[in-house]
Amino acid sequence: MLETREVSKHFGGVKAVNGVSLMVEEYAIVGLIGPNGAGKTTLFSVISGALSLTSGRVSFEGADISGHRPWEIAEKGVVRTFQTPRGFPRMSVLENMLVFASERTTGFWKNLLAGGRLSAEERRNISRADEILSSVGLLDRRNVLVEELSAGELKLLEFARPLMAKPKMLLLDEPAAGVNPALLEHVVTYITQLRNNGLTFFIVDHNLGFIMDICDHLYVMADGELICSGAPDAVACDPNVIESYIGTKTETTV
Amino acid sequence: MMPGFVLFLISSLTLATVYALVALALNFEAGVDGLWDLGVVSFFAAGAYAYAILTVGPPDQMQVYRLGFGLPLWIGVIGAAGAGTLVAYLIGRASLHLKHVYYLITTFAFAEVIREVLTNERWLTNGTAGMYRMAQPFKSSFETNLYPLVLLLVMVAILVVVFIALNRVTKRPFGRALNALRENEDLAATAGMAPYRYHLRSAMIAGAVAGIAGACYVWFNTVIVPQQFTSSITFVAWTVIVVGGLGNNRGAVLGAFLLILTEDVLRLFDLSSTVAVRVASARVAVIGLILMAVLRWRPRGVLPEKRPRFSRSEALVPAEAPAQGLQQVGSGE
Ligand SMILES: Nc1ncnc2c1ncn2[C@@H]1O[C@H](COP(=O)(O)OP(=O)(O)OP(=O)(O)O)[C@@H](O)[C@H]1O
Ligand SMILES: [Mg+2]
Repeated sequence: MLETREVSKHFGGVKAVNGVSLMVEEYAIVGLIGPNGAGKTTLFSVISGALSLTSGRVSFEGADISGHRPWEIAEKGVVRTFQTPRGFPRMSVLENMLVFASERTTGFWKNLLAGGRLSAEERRNISRADEILSSVGLLDRRNVLVEELSAGELKLLEFARPLMAKPKMLLLDEPAAGVNPALLEHVVTYITQLRNNGLTFFIVDHNLGFIMDICDHLYVMADGELICSGAPDAVACDPNVIESYIGTKTETTV
Repeated sequence: MMPGFVLFLISSLTLATVYALVALALNFEAGVDGLWDLGVVSFFAAGAYAYAILTVGPPDQMQVYRLGFGLPLWIGVIGAAGAGTLVAYLIGRASLHLKHVYYLITTFAFAEVIREVLTNERWLTNGTAGMYRMAQPFKSSFETNLYPLVLLLVMVAILVVVFIALNRVTKRPFGRALNALRENEDLAATAGMAPYRYHLRSAMIAGAVAGIAGACYVWFNTVIVPQQFTSSITFVAWTVIVVGGLGNNRGAVLGAFLLILTEDVLRLFDLSSTVAVRVASARVAVIGLILMAVLRWRPRGVLPEKRPRFSRSEALVPAEAPAQGLQQVGSGE
C-alpha cells in the first residue's frame, strides 16, 4: 500500500534518513522503532510531504507521491500525526475534530448563503466527532480549549483528530508517549478495531511493550538507516536492536 | 438646523462607521485567518478611487482626469468592492504561496506604491488636486441640513449587512478552517486543506469589504485626494482590532467606535492653533494609552474571541452512513 524506495533526506551534512526502503501492507499495523535521532520523524515528514526528499521515491497505492504537497497526500488518504502535538490551541476539542471532517462544508458562498444554525452535514460531523471522542475518553472535554488540555489528553486528541478524515492510512508519531497505561490499553483495542475495519497503521513509538503488542511487523532504524525488520518477537531478539537501544537509550527498553 | 454639537457627533459616528468596516475587513484576514496585513489601506484606496472614477462626472477646466463615467452610485459601490478584491488577489497571488512574512512585506510595500500611483497618474486620479463633488446616496431626496443623519443611517445599514455576512461566515466551517490555519498551518494542511487557497480567499474577502469602506469614505468626505490614504489608516485599523479583540467581529466594531469617538472628543474643544498642535499629539498619546491599557489588562482585547459551544443534543441527527470504522466504537468498557 505504502512503499518507500531508497528514500533519503539530508539536512546539509546530516543524513537524517539515508536510503530507506520499506513497505506497509494494506490493513497492517506496522511499527517503526529506533533510538533518538534515528530519523523516524523525518521519514514520516517525507512520506507526508511536509519535507521534500533528497532522493528516492514514495508511492501509495501504486502511485508516486514523492514531492506532492501535504494536503494532496492527505486527500489521498494518508494522514500523519505530530510527535509534539499542539493541535489548534485556541479552538475547542470538538472544533479540532470538525476541522478534519471528511464531509467538507467549508465553501464560502455556501456558508454565506445557507440559512439555519447548523447544516445537516455539520450535525453529522458533530455526532461522528462525539463518537470518536468518547472512544478515547475525551467526550466530556469537548468544549474545552485545546490549550487547556494536559499533555496526555493532547496526545489522545492527536490520535483521535485524523480519524474524522476517514483516512486509509494513519502515520502515528509516538501516540503512546505520556498517555496513562489504563487508557493506553484502551487505545490498543481501538487501534486493532479500526484496523479490522479497514484502516492501515504505521506507528513510531519508544514504548516497546505497546509496539510489540500491537504490530504485525516491525522496522528498526538507527542513524538514518534501516537496520532490520521482521515480526515483533523476532526483531526484539536481534542483537542489532538490543545494541542500538541499550547503547543510546536505556529508559525505554522493556 | 441641527445644533453644531449634534452635527459633530453625527460626523464622528459616520467616520467611525467607515473605520468599523475597515476593521472588520482587517479582522477577517488577520484575526479570523492569520494574515498580517500591513497595507489594508491599499484595498481601501482602491475601493475609494474605483467608486470615484465610476461615479464622477466629466472633468471641468481645472481638472485633468480623463475618465469619469458618471455611473449610478450602486455600480460605484460594486466597483469599489471589485477593485478591493482585485488588489487583494494580486497581492495574494504574489505572496501567499510563500511564508506569511512575505504577505506582510508585500502589503506594506504595495500601500506605498499605490499612493505613488494615485499621486502621479493624474489622468486617472487628478493627482494631489483630487476629485470633488462626489455623488452621495439619496442626496437629492433630503433637505441639506438633514442629510448628514441620512448618510449616517445609510452607512450604518451597510455596516450591519457586512457585519452579519462576515460574522456568519466566521462562525461557520469556512471561518473555522481559517481559524485552524491561523492556529497551526502544518496541522491544517494534514486535514487536506491547501493553505494558499484559503488565505487567498480571506484576503479577497477583506479586499471586498475594505473596498466598500472606501466608497463610504468618499461619501463621508465628498472629495478624494491621495493624502487621505496614508498608512496611518492601516495602523488605526490594527489598533482598533487589537483593542476590540483580535478575531472577534463585534470587537472590531466596538473598537472602531471607541477609538474614533475618543479621538474626536479631544477635538471638541475650540482651540487656538498652538494649543491645537499640542492636542493633536495628545490624541496620538491617548490612543497609545488606550492600547497599552488594553494590552496590560485585557491582552486579548475588550471582547476576546469566543469559541462556539456545541451542545450534544444539537448532534442527535444520526449519521447517514456510519463510518466503517466507527460502528463498534462506542461499545468500549
Ligand atoms: N529540520 C532539521 N534540520 C536539521 N536537522 C534535522 C532537522 N530535523 C531533524 N534533524 C536531524 O535529523 C536527525 C533525525 O531526527 P528525527 O527527528 O527524525 O529523529 P527521530 O528518530 O524522530 O528521534 P526521536 O525518537 O527523538 O523522535 C537528528 O539528528 C536531527 O537532529
Ligand atoms: Mg521523532
